[in-house]
Amino acid sequence: MNIGLPGAGIGGLYYLTCTAIMPFKELFLTLTNPDHTFRYRLVATQLSIAAGIVFGLLLIYQLVTSVFGLGLTVADPVGEGSALFYALLPVVVSLGLLILILLLVELAAFLSKKPK
Amino acid sequence: MFGKKRQNQPAERVGVEAGEPTENLTVIGRKVKTCPVTVIVPAYNEADCIADTVNSLLEQSLMPEAIIVIDDGSTDKTAEICRSLGVMVITPPENTGSKAGAQNYALSHIKTEYTLALDADTTLQEDALEVLYNAMGSPDLVAACGFVIPQKVSTLWERGRYVEYLMAFTFYKEIQEYYEKPLISSGCFSLFRTEYLQQIKGWSLRTMAEDMDLTWTAYQLGKKVRFIPSAICYPIEPHNFHFMRKQLTRWAHGFIQNVRLHRKGLLQVPFLRSIVTVMCWDASIASIFYLTALPILAVTVSPLFLLGYIIDLPMVLVPTLVKAYSRGETWKALTSIPAFLVLRVVNSAIFLEALFKELVLKKTLTTYEKGH
Repeated sequence: MNIGLPGAGIGGLYYLTCTAIMPFKELFLTLTNPDHTFRYRLVATQLSIAAGIVFGLLLIYQLVTSVFGLGLTVADPVGEGSALFYALLPVVVSLGLLILILLLVELAAFLSKKPK
Repeated sequence: MFGKKRQNQPAERVGVEAGEPTENLTVIGRKVKTCPVTVIVPAYNEADCIADTVNSLLEQSLMPEAIIVIDDGSTDKTAEICRSLGVMVITPPENTGSKAGAQNYALSHIKTEYTLALDADTTLQEDALEVLYNAMGSPDLVAACGFVIPQKVSTLWERGRYVEYLMAFTFYKEIQEYYEKPLISSGCFSLFRTEYLQQIKGWSLRTMAEDMDLTWTAYQLGKKVRFIPSAICYPIEPHNFHFMRKQLTRWAHGFIQNVRLHRKGLLQVPFLRSIVTVMCWDASIASIFYLTALPILAVTVSPLFLLGYIIDLPMVLVPTLVKAYSRGETWKALTSIPAFLVLRVVNSAIFLEALFKELVLKKTLTTYEKGH
């Protein structure tokens, strides 16, 4: 069941971040728990997918700039030569929003635990 | 295949293996081993597909002890077909009105340690039950679900769903499993510890997404749920807009109802609270931005704002193609991508409609309508 906008929004960024944390978590578990076996295959697969996604995002940016013949001007954000600005805007805004939302939910979880 | 552990299973989470199947059973001339599982299949007018479903159960590498089809007031030959295939058919006194109602009716008939809930339009890969059964280790693991791939991939809607599932089950759900919090144990194919189902009095009728309700309840009770990607099932997905709309509407209302119902409990479940919050944001605020702000900005400020529609394409393409390639379905997946983009727009519009009805108009969806 996927509701709303699967693949779009901050959800994708959230899962990319979770993937980036996976090897560190595995390393921590391996070092702290002698019974734990590092899950190389799972981590490698998910990291490869995440790397492919990031590479794809960069590729799209390159394609867009070359198709439209636009430079990397950021000085004039509403002008026609501001492809980088428009390409990166959703990513930067999404990352900021994601951090804010995650902080808020953690705060809500903390406050809900506090005795009245 | 029998007795083989799933490869790459995290050792620390396998725990004690589920009881070894010992009984032998002769099914269609072949001797197979059984496991203490009862399969329940709620069915309402499923004559077109129920035989495939039952046959896929009869061909499992590890057989369930019992297969029960709940004929929920069908007016076609669903019950006759099932009886002719040799499975038990039970009939409630009247139509229960929902899949959950039919499943609850069957609950009192279950005598085995495990219960497999399977939709009437869903077939299984030959080893699907065995794989799920072998994953049921520690006592606090109460549910396990598998990978879902549409059985038919032909129409625009089926193609959109095909991409959606390949993407979500290959990337999102694997990560959820890694962090030990799969968002949902899918209603179409899940194995449960029967004791847990009895403890929570079966599938709840209080929301339109009983599988989500059941999964989130498990987490709040300190139980575990797992996603086992090598257990594969093949449901029939809505083939036209009429049925797709019904299904998406039910899912959207079900999600909102579950968030409202479990909001306090969810806050106490790490990772799950983050996934649900992010989903809420994407489904509501991002949908509004996607459907209204982007086109307006494109017209009024610069057409380059339309880049917002394609900037995330790799997020869909990469996991989809990774899975499709391993299945030898790369071309099918590639040609289905546009259908997914259509489905995504429809999905977000339907979610906003559901949100408006549930929160503003206070019109809670209570009528269960089949999605095919």
